Amino acid sequence: MLDATLPIDEERRLAVLLNLNILDTPAEERFDRITRMAARLFQVPIALVSLIDGERQWFKSRVGTELAESPRSTSFCTHTMLQDGVLVIEDASADARFASNPMVLADPHVRFYAGYPVAAPDGSKIGTLCLIDRAPRQFSEEERAVLRDLACMVAHEVAARQLEQALREQRESEAWLRGLLDNAPDGVMMLDESGAILSLNPHAEELFGCASAVLQGRSVHSLMVETIDGIGAALQDGQTVSFHGNGRRFDNSIFPIALSVRAMRLGGQRRYAAIVRDGARRREADRVIRESDARRSRYLATATHELRTPMASVLGFSELLMKRDFDTKTGNELVGIIHAQAGVLISVTNQLLDLARIEAGGRPGLRIGTHGMGVLLAEALQALAPQGSLERVVLTLDPAAAPVAADPQRMQLALVNLIGNALHYSPPGSQVDVSVAPVPYRGMAGVQVRVTDRGIGMTEEQVARLFEAFYRGGAMPEVPGSGLGMAIFKEVIDLHNGTIAIDSAPGRGTTATLVLPAASGETP
Amino acid sequence: MSDAGADASILVVDDQRELRLLVRITLQPLGKIATAASAEEALDHIRRVPTRLVVLDVWLGAGQSGVEFCRALKNDPATAAIKVILLSANGNQPDIDAGMAAGADAYVVKPYSPRDLLARATQLLA
Repeated sequence: MLDATLPIDEERRLAVLLNLNILDTPAEERFDRITRMAARLFQVPIALVSLIDGERQWFKSRVGTELAESPRSTSFCTHTMLQDGVLVIEDASADARFASNPMVLADPHVRFYAGYPVAAPDGSKIGTLCLIDRAPRQFSEEERAVLRDLACMVAHEVAARQLEQALREQRESEAWLRGLLDNAPDGVMMLDESGAILSLNPHAEELFGCASAVLQGRSVHSLMVETIDGIGAALQDGQTVSFHGNGRRFDNSIFPIALSVRAMRLGGQRRYAAIVRDGARRREADRVIRESDARRSRYLATATHELRTPMASVLGFSELLMKRDFDTKTGNELVGIIHAQAGVLISVTNQLLDLARIEAGGRPGLRIGTHGMGVLLAEALQALAPQGSLERVVLTLDPAAAPVAADPQRMQLALVNLIGNALHYSPPGSQVDVSVAPVPYRGMAGVQVRVTDRGIGMTEEQVARLFEAFYRGGAMPEVPGSGLGMAIFKEVIDLHNGTIAIDSAPGRGTTATLVLPAASGETP
Repeated sequence: MSDAGADASILVVDDQRELRLLVRITLQPLGKIATAASAEEALDHIRRVPTRLVVLDVWLGAGQSGVEFCRALKNDPATAAIKVILLSANGNQPDIDAGMAAGADAYVVKPYSPRDLLARATQLLA
C-alpha cells in the first residue's frame, strides 16, 4: 500500500474546505443530481463527490454505496487531487499503486476508477467527482471531457452554495445591525463630509421630533443652537469631538443635548458617525451628584466642628490642669467638664457611625423581619429607661394593628431617637403619648405610630430643618445631643418605605406621625 | 450670660459655656477677662467697655457668625484697632483665608493648646 503524498498547499486547502462549512452536512439535491447523472451517463455502479479532509475522504454525494467516508490513506481521490487533469485507473488490480489497496481487495472491490479534481472558488482543490466500477474498463477522451464538465458543475455548486451562505450571513448581520440601531437608547446618525445627515435611527428622529425623511440632507449644524466647532477636514479619521449644548427640535423648541462625532472613511469618502443624547437626564444626574457632594461636604464640616469642639475642652482643660495650680473646687469643676465633654465626644462618634452605617448599608443592609410594633416600642422604651422619666410615656396600642416589615435594631434606634426627643423637649413630668393604630397606606395595610408631647414645639423653620444632620434648633442648648438623632430617625424610616409628618407650633407641643407599610403588604 | 468686668480689656465670645471658661482661664495671666455668648452681647460689651483683644469663635450658633462680627468690628473706625483672634474647628485653608480676609489678626484651630493661645494673645497685646 502506498500513501499518497500531500499537496503543497495542504494547510491552506484544508482551511478553505473547513470555511465552506460543507463537511458533515446533509445530502443536497444540487450535488446528488450530478452524481446520479454521472452514474447513468458512464454506466458505473458508483459515483461520488468526495471531499478530502485531513485524515479522511467524506462523501458529500454518493450513488451506489452506503459508505459515508473512508480513510484518506486508502483514498484514490487524494491522488486525483494532486494532479490537474483526470486520473483514470483502468484496472486497479494491475496498478502497482493500488493492487494491495483494501478498497480493491475487499468491498467495494474497486477495479476501475476515474476522478476529476473539484476546486473551491479560490482554486484550492477540495475533493473530486469520481466514478468507480467493479470491472476493468477503458475511458475515452470524450468520456474524460464529460467527466471534467461534470466536475466543473460540482465546483460551481460549491461556489453557489458558498455565495448563498455568505448572503444569508450578511442578511443576518444586517438585521442584527438594524435591530441594534433601531433599538439603541441614543440617537445615532451618519453625516456626510459637509455635516449633512445621511441617515439616522428612530431615537434620533424622536429627539429632534421629526421623521427621518425630513431630516435627511439637513445639516447637523441646523439642529443645534450653538455653533459646533471641530467637525471638518481638520478632524482626523478616528478622532472624536464632543459637544454639550442645546439642540433645536423641528418645532423650534430647544432641549439640552450631548453630541459626539467621530470622523471616519467609508467607501473612500469622509463620513461622520454621530451619537446624540438628551442632555436633560445627564444634567439632572449631575445636579443630584453635585447636591449630594455639597451636602456631604457640609456634613463633613459640621461633623468636624461637632468633634473638635468637645475635643478643645478635653485637651485645653487637661493641659491647664497639668500646667497650672487650681484650688480643689475649680480643679474638680474642670475635671467634671473634661469628663462630660469626653462623653459628648463618644456619643457624637457613635451617632456618626450609626448614621454612616445606615446610609452605607442602604436597603440591602437591612435585616428585615416581621415584627409587632408593640414589641419594637417596648424595646425602644427599655433602651430609654436609664434616662429616667419613662413614667411620662403613655402607650396606647390598637390590637388590630398588623406587624411591620422592619429591621428591629434600626427601627428601635429610630424610635429611641423620636421618643427621646419628645421627652427632652418637653417639661419634666409632662405626658408623652405614644399610640399605634392600623391605617391604609398606599392602597395597602399600614401601621401608624404617633408620638405627641406637650413641649416647647417648633417654628416652621425648625420643622423644615428638623431632619438636617447636626441641626439642633438652638432653642434649648442645655438639652444633650449631637443633632444627629432625627437625621438617623429619618434615614431609617425612609429605608423602610415609611412616611413622617410633623405637626408643631411654638409652645403648642409636637406631634410626629409615622406610617409604615404592614408586613403583609411588603416583600422583604 | 456675660460676666463682663468694667476694667477688662479682653473679651471672649463663644456660644458654649465650657469653651468660654477654657479661654478665660487660659488668658487669666493677661488680666481681667469678660465673656459673651453671642455677637450681639459682645457688641453691647465693646460699646460700654474699652477692649483691646476679642477672642472670637467662628461658630456662634444662631445669629451673626464670628467671621461676620470680625468684619463688622474691623470696618468700623471706632473698633478697627481692636485685635481679633478667631477660633475655629475648621482648619481648611479656604476657611482660614476667609477669616483673615475678614481682618482677623490670628486664626487658631480647635483643639488648641492653651499655652499657644496665651502666647498668641500676649504677642498681639504687646
